Amino acid sequence: MNSSIAVVADVDTVTGFKLGGIKEGHVVETSQEAEETLGNIIKEKDVSIIIITEKIGDEIRDFIDRFTKSNTLPMIIEIPDKSGPSDRAVDPMGDLIKRVIGVEMVK
Amino acid sequence: MAQEMIEGINPTRMELLKLKDREKLAVKGYSLLKEKRNALIMEFFNILERVKGSRENVEEKLKEAFEDLTAAQVIMGDLAVKKAALSVKESVNVDIDSRSIMGVVVPVVESSTSPERTVVERGYGFVDTSVKLDEAAKKFEESIALIIELGEIEKTIILLAGEIESTKRRVNALEHIIIPRLENTVKYIEMRLEEMERENFVRLKMIKKSMEME
Repeated sequence: MNSSIAVVADVDTVTGFKLGGIKEGHVVETSQEAEETLGNIIKEKDVSIIIITEKIGDEIRDFIDRFTKSNTLPMIIEIPDKSGPSDRAVDPMGDLIKRVIGVEMVK
Repeated sequence: MAQEMIEGINPTRMELLKLKDREKLAVKGYSLLKEKRNALIMEFFNILERVKGSRENVEEKLKEAFEDLTAAQVIMGDLAVKKAALSVKESVNVDIDSRSIMGVVVPVVESSTSPERTVVERGYGFVDTSVKLDEAAKKFEESIALIIELGEIEKTIILLAGEIESTKRRVNALEHIIIPRLENTVKYIEMRLEEMERENFVRLKMIKKSMEME
């Protein structure tokens, strides 16, 4: 199945990924906007990977969790924006691994 | 020790046979599920090995990319960078496939990125762009490839984790609740039946005795 990638992020990240060759970049400012944009992208079937920034991810965590639980595709990948990786209170991956294995793994 | 049993069961032979069948099935299902759980966890550890450095790589690469981008913005101006970005040709084309790990369908991404694009292939003009822009573009291309890989691994982990959790819950439910409950019920019925037999025996003896007395 052929498909494409979309970026939903702040202005600089979108510019950067456009330089890298991803055509579909959506600049969002508020969390409400981000949710709407993500919803629209998900409705279009030919996008299989959505890149969002960690900041946006934290803001709409519920929305993303709800979506990733029920769907396999598109996958949503969170990346740090230009201010670098944010120190998160909860690391979603580490949390998940801990819950499944029962012990903290060195990541 | 009063143990939990299945409610509303009549102590008859019919029920006993049925329950024994159910118990056999539950034990079989339990051992199968246990195997499934172990296999899933092994698979999970394999993937954990892969995820270890992956996120750090992405973060590192992106940091470099953003540094170059900022430099380009400083040299050329924000607007010019945006203009150049708009004319970049699409480079990434992903091919999503899926494979199954113990019944869990996980995505496999084949990305046909053209990682080593030359400056000409990107599609913006040279006259008003800086070298830093080329660097930034190259680094972003590289980070996209890394991000796609990371995405695949993380998605696989999430899916596997979900499956492991539900399998674990089932295994535990069978091991600690359903099988003991069935066992207790079987034991109860067997005891009741034996008791009834003894009662009957005694009753017959009594009848015989009273008949002899007459």
